[in-house]
Amino acid sequence: MAFSVLIVDDSPVMRTFIRRVMTLSGFEVGECVEASDGQEALERLRSRPVDVILTDINMPRMNGEEFLRRLEEDAQLRTVPTLVISTDATKGRILKMLSLGAQGYMTKPFSPEALREQLEQVLGERNA
Amino acid sequence: MPEESAGANVDAVVASVSAAVLETMFFEEAVESECEHAWLESALSVRVAFNGSHTGEFLLSVSPSAAQCIAAGFLGVDSADLVEGQTGQVLLELSNILCGAVMSHLFPESSLNLDPPEAVPTGAVPAGSMHHCFYLPDGPVAVSIRVLEGPQLV
Repeated sequence: MAFSVLIVDDSPVMRTFIRRVMTLSGFEVGECVEASDGQEALERLRSRPVDVILTDINMPRMNGEEFLRRLEEDAQLRTVPTLVISTDATKGRILKMLSLGAQGYMTKPFSPEALREQLEQVLGERNA
Repeated sequence: MPEESAGANVDAVVASVSAAVLETMFFEEAVESECEHAWLESALSVRVAFNGSHTGEFLLSVSPSAAQCIAAGFLGVDSADLVEGQTGQVLLELSNILCGAVMSHLFPESSLNLDPPEAVPTGAVPAGSMHHCFYLPDGPVAVSIRVLEGPQLV
């Protein structure tokens, strides 16, 4: 089964890297949509729902924290599994993002295998 | 812990985390090397300032040839197929990842905000910084971290 994915990151090269690594990992990617910040991501999601969201934290206009809050406020979007991908490995930040509704949190650097494992975990939690 | 041991530990963390980042996400094998800084004059350099529980700066310098290979490895393309601006964008991303990873390992209880990475004209090693040089197959890389305020490693 191929999953539709939304990648939210203000760095175009990071979005390209994540897309590439998902493919390298063997994770079956269907449609892959990209957004450069939380605000653009919400607009994309309202016109086209996805199976899973991968989001950065530090972004202009709407950062990852505010994006997660907006997802939680939306009855439909709050059910979409969200995986945070960040350079910040501090405990406080991880707990904060999980408390805001993220199902998973992955720190950079990460391998293709680790990304696949995390994606399967957050998708599994939704389907459990 | 004696100061000498703490210094050795910091060096080991900076070296191992930097090498892991380069190998895991940029598919480049990094070999630690002696510092020889004449090449820094022509290096591409990026600075990341951070604040919060610690205040300071991270500096990444990469030789132009190594930068191309890093960008190509990150994006999964041949160096010849890189389009204008991509190498610089990848270096910004690499500096952000390196800074976050090294600081998280050195200070796991820290709470940091990283400023957006910025290209800077000089790769000169800041005084008082922790510093390491690496060699990739296509050229050298240097990383420096300077903590100005906040709990120090003792």
